Amino acid sequence: MTLKPSSKLSWFLPLLIPAILLILWQIASDIGFLKPSILPSPLVIAATLLELFKSGELLKNLEVSLVRVMEGFAIGAGLGLLVGFTMGLSSRMERALSLITGLLRPIPTIAWIPALILWLGIGESSKVVVIAVGSFWPVLLSAIQGVRGTDPKYLEVARVLEKDSYTTILKVVIPSALPSIFTGLRIAMGIAWASVVGAELIAASSGIGFMIMYAREVSQPDVMLVGVLAIGLTGLLIDFLLLQLQKRLLKWSVNP
Amino acid sequence: MTALQIKNLNHHYALSQGELEVLRQVELQVQSGEFISIVGASGCGKSTLLRLIDGLETASGGEILLDDKIIQTPGLERGMVFQEPRLFPWLTVEENIAFGCRANTHESEKQKLVHSHIQLVGLLGFEKAYPHQLSGGMQQRTAIARALVSQPQVLLLDEPFGALDALTRIQMQQEILKIWQAEKITVILVTHDIDEAVYLGDRVLVMSNRPGTFQKTVPVALTRPRDRNSPEFSKIKKEIYDEFFNKTV
Repeated sequence: MTLKPSSKLSWFLPLLIPAILLILWQIASDIGFLKPSILPSPLVIAATLLELFKSGELLKNLEVSLVRVMEGFAIGAGLGLLVGFTMGLSSRMERALSLITGLLRPIPTIAWIPALILWLGIGESSKVVVIAVGSFWPVLLSAIQGVRGTDPKYLEVARVLEKDSYTTILKVVIPSALPSIFTGLRIAMGIAWASVVGAELIAASSGIGFMIMYAREVSQPDVMLVGVLAIGLTGLLIDFLLLQLQKRLLKWSVNP
Repeated sequence: MTALQIKNLNHHYALSQGELEVLRQVELQVQSGEFISIVGASGCGKSTLLRLIDGLETASGGEILLDDKIIQTPGLERGMVFQEPRLFPWLTVEENIAFGCRANTHESEKQKLVHSHIQLVGLLGFEKAYPHQLSGGMQQRTAIARALVSQPQVLLLDEPFGALDALTRIQMQQEILKIWQAEKITVILVTHDIDEAVYLGDRVLVMSNRPGTFQKTVPVALTRPRDRNSPEFSKIKKEIYDEFFNKTV
């Protein structure tokens, strides 16, 4: 239990510390403490942001990255749900797959990037696959946990009411696993977004990660930082949208 | 007419240090439309007996027959209400009740059944509410409606009001009598509340502890609605109470 600040304050509070930091940063730049070639001032970065936004370069790169994320996330999360439900529902399947999932899961997603470039080239497919791999694991684990966590008392109700296994899975197991699955999806989305930037930093000719890397090569620290900032903002926006979707879908849950 | 017969029922659980005998030589004949109360201390096996009647567990020995057919699995001709409402939190009141319908029920028929059972348990106006928005008593009403919507012959109640406060419990007891009279259904109620058992049952069966078996049957020949404060009521309660506490060993 935490104390809730009053409503006026609660809007203002998350902005306070960033504002102080920005002001200090701006002052440090103005007095020449920070070199513009290393770390440009907030006002310069803001101007660059506006310029890149107007020229369409920022949105174009963001769009390229977002499309990759959506494709990879759809494949990874879809497979995660499929395998997760199979493993959650059948202990035999879980046993059969336990060694291979246990071995592959600890491997960081970016460790696959060189191998995937070797196999798939530096085109779209290698990036989409990296994202799919990254999104797969959290969804897999949350689906297994969600299915396994179904209250046996609810399953007993389904038995008492003579429901077949199809109805029981659809009406009892899946809804009961949804809160856990949503947590997995949100984590997976975060990883997917991180993976696309990782993949683009290593090899790409477009996308937000490429924009950052290229800006470094041509010594444009302001463009570089705009890219970094855009990643943070987009990630925040995506998580916000997922949270809204979760609230809407899980309105029955007392604590969604 | 005999609806339910229990013949020489025995049940035991396998434990690591041997077997635990839960039920021994349980015999029971329930007439169609009868209201049976079973009282016993906690852990005496009364809930296990109900689970065996429902078919959730299989007895180690003996048999249970409903209309001369042996019970082996759960079936919709027996409705079950547990101590906890066990409503699905993701379904509204009407969706929870509709979940109790038979698989082949037509949609329009389903709507009619759900509506009439919402009316029966007094939940009109709460059709779209989610379980967490309801009080404990209303949740249990929903669970009763879900058990009744498939129109079972027998309603099995496993300490259904045990978790409710005293006033709500009395209200629910009156409610269940009303439902029993309206639906002309056979009811088997398991409880540890002697007052509840006498108030509701045509007969009260007293179950002994470890192993569980019926040690006494007390007929309750009082007209309904019964007055809990009448001397006759108290006399029957005392007779049952003595079975548990004042027995000379």
